[in-house]
This record gives sequence, C-alpha cells and structure tokens, in this order.
Amino acid sequence: MMTTETTPTVQVEGLRKTFYDESRGEVHAVDGIDFDCRPGEVFGLLGANGAGKTTTLRMLSTVLRPTGGRARVMGHDVVTEPEAVRESLGFYSASTALYPRLTARETLEFFARINRYPPDRVPERVEELVDRFGIREYERGRVEKLSSGMKQKVSIARTVAHDPPVLIFDEPTVGLDVLNALEMVKVIRELRDEGKTILFSSHIMSEVEKLCDRIGVIHRGRMLAMGTLEELRELTGEHYLEDIFVHYVTRTEGVEGVELGAMGELEPAAPGDGEGAEESIPQGADAGGEEA
Amino acid sequence: MTRRRERDRRDLSVLATILRYELRMLLRDTRTILIAVVAPLIILPGWILLSNRVERSDERRLEEAEYRYAVTGSEAAWAREQIAQALAWQDPDSDRPAAPFSFVETSVPEPDSALLAGDLHLVVDALSPADFAAVLREELAEAIARAEAAAAEGGGGPDARAAALAQALEDSDFPLGEVRGVRLLYRAQSDFSRNAQERLEERLRRIRAAKRDSVYRAVGFPVPVETVAVVVEEDVASAEKVAGSVLGLVLTPFLLVLMLSGGSIIAADALSGEKERGTLETLLTTAATRSEIVRAKQLAVMVVGLAVAVVNVANLAVYLGLGVLDLPQGLQIGLSVGQTLALLFLFLPLATLVSAALLFLSGVSKSYREYQIYFFPLVIVLLVPSLAPVLPGMELRSVIAMVPVAGIAVAVRDVLLSGVDWLFAGIAFGSTAAAGVLIAGWVENSLSNERLISSAELDEADLIGGAALFPRHVFQWFLGFWVVFFVISLWYGDDLGAKGQVVVNLVGIFFGGSLFLIRRYRLPVRETLALRLPHPAAWLAALVGAPSALLVGVGLAELVNTYVFPVPEELLRAFGESLAEPGFPLWQMVFFLAVMPGVFEEIAFRGVLLHGIRKRWGPWATALAVGVIFGFFHVALFRIVPTAFLGVILAGVVLLTRSIYPAVLWHILNNAMSIVPFQLGWLPEDFTPPSILTPVAVVTLSASLWLMWKTSPREPRLAPRTSPSG
Repeated sequence: MMTTETTPTVQVEGLRKTFYDESRGEVHAVDGIDFDCRPGEVFGLLGANGAGKTTTLRMLSTVLRPTGGRARVMGHDVVTEPEAVRESLGFYSASTALYPRLTARETLEFFARINRYPPDRVPERVEELVDRFGIREYERGRVEKLSSGMKQKVSIARTVAHDPPVLIFDEPTVGLDVLNALEMVKVIRELRDEGKTILFSSHIMSEVEKLCDRIGVIHRGRMLAMGTLEELRELTGEHYLEDIFVHYVTRTEGVEGVELGAMGELEPAAPGDGEGAEESIPQGADAGGEEA
Repeated sequence: MTRRRERDRRDLSVLATILRYELRMLLRDTRTILIAVVAPLIILPGWILLSNRVERSDERRLEEAEYRYAVTGSEAAWAREQIAQALAWQDPDSDRPAAPFSFVETSVPEPDSALLAGDLHLVVDALSPADFAAVLREELAEAIARAEAAAAEGGGGPDARAAALAQALEDSDFPLGEVRGVRLLYRAQSDFSRNAQERLEERLRRIRAAKRDSVYRAVGFPVPVETVAVVVEEDVASAEKVAGSVLGLVLTPFLLVLMLSGGSIIAADALSGEKERGTLETLLTTAATRSEIVRAKQLAVMVVGLAVAVVNVANLAVYLGLGVLDLPQGLQIGLSVGQTLALLFLFLPLATLVSAALLFLSGVSKSYREYQIYFFPLVIVLLVPSLAPVLPGMELRSVIAMVPVAGIAVAVRDVLLSGVDWLFAGIAFGSTAAAGVLIAGWVENSLSNERLISSAELDEADLIGGAALFPRHVFQWFLGFWVVFFVISLWYGDDLGAKGQVVVNLVGIFFGGSLFLIRRYRLPVRETLALRLPHPAAWLAALVGAPSALLVGVGLAELVNTYVFPVPEELLRAFGESLAEPGFPLWQMVFFLAVMPGVFEEIAFRGVLLHGIRKRWGPWATALAVGVIFGFFHVALFRIVPTAFLGVILAGVVLLTRSIYPAVLWHILNNAMSIVPFQLGWLPEDFTPPSILTPVAVVTLSASLWLMWKTSPREPRLAPRTSPSG
C-alpha cells in the first residue's frame, strides 16, 4: 500500500457548483475548492450544515454536475466518464435508503450486479460480505423488517458490494445512536486499513478528530484550511478542533458571530441573506497547509 | 472490439438485473397485487352474477305480484267486461301459456288518492262517449297547435301531416261522440304500477286489434290483415364484420385503459416512489447508467401493463366461454392468425408509448401522491386520440397515421373491419413508437435533473412559500382550472347556455382563479398583470395586428383542416349557431363574446399564467406554452389550433410591450371582428376571406410585432446575473 501513497485517487481542482434559486438568485453552494485524497487515508470534510460538503460529495459521485473546475476519481473525470467514476466508488449517506421489499442478501447481490462486479463472482462476494458484516443471521429477512442497526450494516455492505477503491461517507452518523455511530467509525477505520480511499464528511468535531487523517475545513462553499490535525493546531495555536474551526470561521465572517449549538453543531449567526460569495473574504491562501 | 462487446453484454446484464428485481419487488407487494390484479378478477363475475340475480328476482317479484286496480267512471261495467277479456287473452302465436298475471279489482273510496298513496297500482277510468270525445279533441287540438308551430319554423315535417290528418278527422262526420274509451292511470315511479299499466294496455290493444280484424273480415276484406304492408329487414354484413366494426372502435381504448392501470401498478412506484423513499439516490450513485435504469423500468412497466391487460382479457374470455357473461347480441369475434399478428404488431408501439408516458409521469412526480394527481389527465390525453376511429370522415384521412395512438386506433379498426393497409399501419407504428422513444428520452434526462436529488435540501422556496413558489406551481393550478372548466362545459354546458357559460368561465374560473392565485401566493398585482402603460406606438400596432392575426389564424385553421384534422362541416355550423342565439342583441354579443373574454382571459392567461412561466422559461418557450394552454381551454378540438395561435401572439404582445393593455385591445378586436360584420350583414355568414389576403396579413402582422419590439421599453433585468468571481 505504501507505494500507492503518492498517487491521488481523488483529485479535485477548483470545483464549483452554482445553483439558481428563484428566491435567492444564484447560490454558490461550492465556490472553487481543491483537494486530493490518497489510498489508505480518511479525508474529512468538516463544516456546518449548508457549508457545501454534501454538494461536493455529490459532484464526486456524479449525481450533481459541476458548474466549474474539475474532479477525477481513479483518473476518471466526473463529467466525461460518470459511469467509470461510479463503478470505482461506493457512496453512503444517511439519505441513501435500501429497498424495503428485498432481503438483506438480495440487496447485496443487486448492488454488486448493477455496479458491474463480475457476474460469475457475485455469489462468492455476497458470501464474503455476509460473513464480514455479520449479516448471516438475518440474511433472508426483508430489509423493511430489520432493526436500524441491522439496516445500517446492510447499507454499509451494499456500499462496498463491488469492492470499490474509493468510498464516500456523507454524514454517515446522522441519526444513529451512540453505539451504531461507534460501529460506523470502526468499520470506516477497517476499510481505511485495507487501503481504501475514504472521503468522510461530518459536522461533529469529535468524530473528525478521531477518524480523519487529514481535515478540510469548509465554510460557505470554500475550503478555509486543510491539513492534519497537528498542522492545523500549529497554524492556529488552538488545541481542540472546535476552537480551530471557530478560529477559521470567525476570521472569514469578520465577526464573532458563530456559536456552537448542541452536539457541537455549528450555527452561523445572522446568515447575511445567503449571498455568500460577494462578502466572503478569500482567506483560503494563508490557510495553506497543503503539504506535498 | 472484444472490449466493446464485453461492455454490451454487461450492459444487458445490468438492465436485466434491474428488471428482475423490479418485478420481484412488485410480486412481494401483496396488497397491490390483490387490489390491482386479483380484485378485478373476482369483482367482475361477482358483479355480473349479482346484477343478474337482482334482475331475475325483480322480474319474479313483478311476475308474482298481485296488482290491485280500481275501475272508475260512468262506463265501469263495460270497462270491466273489457278487462276480463283482456286478462283472458292468449297469444295465438305462442305455445307457452301467458305468464301468470294476478289482477285484482279493489274497491276503495278515493281511487285517485289511493293510487298516489301506493295502495292501488292502477286506476281504469272508463270514459263515456262524450268524455272520450272531449279527450280526443283535446289531443287533436294539441297536435294542430304543434303542427302550426312547426309550419311557422318553415318545416313541413311529419307533425304537419299528422295535423292535416287530425284536421280532416275533425272536419269529417266521424261519429266521435259514439265511442267509449278507457284511460289507464298509473304512477311511473313505481315499477309495479308501470308494469300493471304496460301489461293491461298491451292486452287491451291486442283484443282491440282482434276485434278490428274480425270486423274487417266480416265486411269482406280480401286478404289476411297481417299480410298488408309487411316490412322485413335484412343486414347484409356478416356477423364478423358487424362485430369487427364495434370491436374495432372499442378495442384500442379498452386495451389502453387496461395497460394504463396495469402499468401504473409499477410506474407509480418506479421513480416517484423511489424518490420518496430515498432509494433513487442510492440507485443513481451506482454504476448503472441512466439509460439502463430507464429502459429496465420501462420494460417492467410494459411487462406488467401487458400482463394485466392479458389477464383481464383472458378473464373476460373465460367468463364468455363459461356463458356467465353474454356478448352483446350477435357479436361474434372471429380472428384469423394474420389479424391476430397484425394486432400484436400494432399494440407493441402502443405499449411502448404507454410505459414511457407512465414512467415520465413517475419521473416528474415527487411522490406517489403527486403521481396519482397527474394520472387522470394522462389517461384523458391518451384516450382522446384512441377514439379517432369514431370521428366522422376519419377513414379518408391517412394523415391520421402520423398522430400517435390515433393512427394505431384507426389501423386496429381497419384490421378488424377490412384488412391491413401495411403502409398506414407502418406509419402508425412508427409515429407511436417514435413518441414512446421521445418520452423515454425525456425520462432519461429527468434523471439527470438535479432538482430530483437536491430539491429536498436546496429548495428554500418551499419553506419561504409565496411568490417564489408560484412559478413552480403555476402549471398544476392551470391544470386544475382546466379540469373544472372541462367538467363544467361538458356536464352543465347545455343548462347554462352560451351566456351563462361565458360568465361562469370568465368570471368564475379565469378571473376568480386569477384573484385566488394572486392572493394565495401574495403576488405583486402590478407586475403579475403587467399593469403599465405601453409605448403609444403599441396601440397602433395592436390596431393593425389584430385583423392581421385573425386572417393568419383563419388561414392556419384552413391548413390544419385540409391536411391534418378534418373538421366536419356540421360541427362548424353548430358552433356558429350556438354563438348566435336568437334574441341576443348585438351589443350583448359584443359585450359577452368580445369585451369580457378580452379582459378576463388576458388577466388569467397573459397575466397570471405568463407571469408564472416567464420566471422559469425563456420568452419563446413562454409564449408557446401560454398559447398552447390557452388553446386547450377551448373545448372544441377544431378551435385549439387557431386559439393557440392567438394565444402565442398575445403572449408575445405582452412580452414585447411589457403591458397587458395592448393585448386586451387586440383580443377584444379579434373577437369583435368575428362577430360584428356577420351580425350586421356586412359579410355573408359563410364568408371566407380570399386566400390571397393571408400572405398580406403575415406581412402586416410581422410589421405590427416589429413595431412593438422596436418600441419595447428597455428595463433593467429583474435578476442581474453576476458571473461567479474568480
């Protein structure tokens, strides 16, 4: 695995997404961000709700089409080769549901097949997944009858059903209880140790702190800072990730108007009418930390 | 090469996987299967058995009932004698003894009120010769009055002849005052009373005829009375042909409805249901391509739709075979192998189109519920062209083959009636299949539509509500208005009359609906209705443009009438007559048919509707959409094209002048010009403008629009788009 360290599996350059909204006009959900990810690392996108995390990850999974910049997954461009991109990644989010009327086993088989896993090796792969994620007991139970913990396991298993090299976990712990959230973190770590490239997004500081090898602080569609936790500590002089985050966000906002809500969720006070682009100060440069 | 082939094989395997799982999931949805497939199978025969039983028991009750009657009048004794004879009468032609018939005379103090109260079934009023003569004279006088009224209208119809006869009878020395008669009083709302009257009257007539015949014979009538002036009918068409013509008309709509309802079982869930449950995002992040997903789901819809159609047809056939159900009299279905194959060939593109349309519906709906709202209009849209074979004059128009669904329907009728015209069938196949492929393409595009995925989070407009939401809802509202409009004109049109309909539509639906939308979405009135004064030149342009557009519209209608869609002459005439109700003064016609539409239709269509669409679409698409929607608000099919044309032009006028006033003027002028010259007799009623005028009108219309464009007020764009920095 060490040899592949140097070649990024995910490359994002100046990625941009502008929506047009009838009431707000143009909304720059993602406003030109750059980052790379490598095999065997977890790259965490840290940001408040609406910062642009999900939009970025959806562009990487080709569900959304970028309005600017470019992104590549395993060397495939998300715009010109969307199928190849999707074939090489697994996408998990709290909103990607399972088919209630399929059994756990059928779910895995279905997703392995439509993700173009070699058909003759599908049964073997399903067996593997069933064992690995402890699904055996309820493999013939319909998804609609499973508990949320069981569903979560099936969901993760279907994400990796076709053994993709890149995995995207978009706020995977939203709505999970503590034990399930811990289980999720554990699985992600295992997958990283197997050499997968993992993109992880969250607004929960402790998770990011524990799990991510590198962290990108994203706010109002811009990447404010990027680096390992240590690097960010050095740059800001703060110890806790919470403080590091607040440090960057308040500097961008130019006011001390950011408060931490319950559960460490950030709620930017007075969201100045949404027209984030014009007033945000391009601070990304000094946040540097983009080590080679 | 090999890689490419490998890829294709794998593509098919993905498609097959989605299809397989789609069907498997459907089969597990027991409730849906029960309701959609099993229930009709049980309900149909159950319903037939039940209704048969009810009918039989009703008959039996009528047979077994004891009918109570009373005899009144001065000639009661004579009447009783007649009744006794009638009850004893036997049909000489029938071997069967007449059905048991229990008639009991009941004496009550007040027979008439007893009849009303239901204590009696029948009152036999025996009339003395004088009374009977009076009754007859009354009837004669009525017949004469009717005939005179008919003569005043200029007709010399059968009524006139009846009156002449009546008059002759009156003038003759027929011994009116010497004949007795009976009058049967009954209550029509009671089955028993009506039945008593019918039976007794029939028997009374029979014995009367028998008596008459015996009188004839007694005076030496040379031939048996029954042989005089016998009319025999014979249908030269074979039973299969008759059945074919009936079946040919109903088969396509019947199968269409079956496929639509069957396909819906899966379509409703295919995209809208997946959106609702969040599985669509899962599916879209897999390596399956959009087109694989769409094709697999379309196939699933098609398979299920066809399966339901086949099951229901087979079901019907089984009950027909078992004799539980009777085919309508003399309907014999005999299909040759060739015909069957031709039918299958023709229904294939229909199934493709239906499945694509259902999937499209599913794709544009955000939820199962929304799908159901759109389903009914889709059924109408597909069903109307399938009724094409019923239209008069349609068999002469081979252009109809180009119209999806309609072409298939006509070809199917031809197959059943005469034989296959392969060219026609081929074109019909092509046009319908092309429509199916086109729609499937839209579905594929809609899957790339980002709103599909991101709407839940980014649509703040949903939360803010109000004006921002209106452009997204405007079509739904106008669809609702259309349904109301359509229902009213279909079911209440006759009762309301022309004037009433105008008022209900214009003031009720168009104006009321507009006010409702403005209030509900808190729309800025001035901007929504474009209430600002235009450049002075716009007035001039409207004065020139209105007559020009009218002429161009007439030319366009002529073109459509000739080449695409023939409009029966009677229809046009009937429409003209419905407008020109007698006793409708000219000023009222102008007011109701020109001024009111000019104001209220402009408010609704070029005001509210245009405002809503303009926020989302470009000017050309907006004008086109406004025009087409406006066209559909005119019930008669043949009016859609000219009114849609007017609608497009008027939308253009509003967009160019940024004011609604020139469009109002234009609209009033347009309508007035098609009324006033004819009413005042300046032009004959069947006047058609010389065709040389059409190109001239095109030029003047263009000039008028050009003038509006040149004088169009420049205003800053509503939402200046700043290019993203960096």
